[in-house]
Amino acid sequence: MDLVYGQPLKELLQISSYFKEQLIVLVKTEVSEKAAKQAEQIPCYLVDESTDLNKIKNKKKAVLGGSIKNNEFAVKINADYLLQPSNEKQFFDLGLAKKLADNNTTVVLMFEELLDKNSFERHQFWKNYMEVVYYCKKKGTKFFVASGNKEPLNLKHPKVRQNLAQLLGLDEVNAKKYLDGVALK
Amino acid sequence: MKIEKVKKKTIPAALREKKRYVLIEILADKLTEKDFYFGFWIELLSFFGSKGLAEINPRLVVYKDNKVILKCTRGKETELIAGIAFIKKIRNKKVILSPIATSGSVKKLKEKAEFD
Repeated sequence: MDLVYGQPLKELLQISSYFKEQLIVLVKTEVSEKAAKQAEQIPCYLVDESTDLNKIKNKKKAVLGGSIKNNEFAVKINADYLLQPSNEKQFFDLGLAKKLADNNTTVVLMFEELLDKNSFERHQFWKNYMEVVYYCKKKGTKFFVASGNKEPLNLKHPKVRQNLAQLLGLDEVNAKKYLDGVALK
Repeated sequence: MKIEKVKKKTIPAALREKKRYVLIEILADKLTEKDFYFGFWIELLSFFGSKGLAEINPRLVVYKDNKVILKCTRGKETELIAGIAFIKKIRNKKVILSPIATSGSVKKLKEKAEFD
């Protein structure tokens, strides 16, 4: 499974079928949700504090982290995915990892954002995510690396993403398990 | 004076450094072997640094029909495959690289890649 932003779904479908994996497409509106469903992909609502949560009950929800407030919001609404809990600054700790594990929330590293950073920011980013994986391992929180791309050609092969998770500190079995079963909640 | 030919001593196979081979498929049009190797090397070097790259010791073994077999130190194949993720463009051409298989011998990978 891979998490991507809404984009030209036709091209996306071609590449994902080449990789033989299903995609979770981040959507914001009902129209884009329908389009994702028609393309046989799994839609997931990207929510923030302004979103009306009553409208999207019983639907997959993802929260874009990157601040203490957003990370806590993901815990509060019992989101399915917490994207980018940290960036160049660390906003993730053991307490948050525990809460996310209790809620069965998956922590996701959007790889495209790491690629866009310059070398100095990239090393801070990488260091923070090694720490995130360490906390996730301790508390049994699910973690996986997603392409998180805005262009279909930047999709990453699942094996590559599994190896990236292993490089961050996850063991081989869990890296594969989390990658395969993230949508099977 | 007669010069004697001395046969070069080779390290026995059991004592040689163990290596692994990775088969990768390239999705890009008109990418030469040199271009691929250069792009691949640069991205790996920028992420792992000189020391990391020396430990991985990646080498290009075969490049044919948009499939490539790379050699690396045993136990470092995770780094090599993860390094692929950092390659977005080579010579301003967008590429998609997908690892197909990892093996201890080139023969098996050649069979898998259907090289002659």
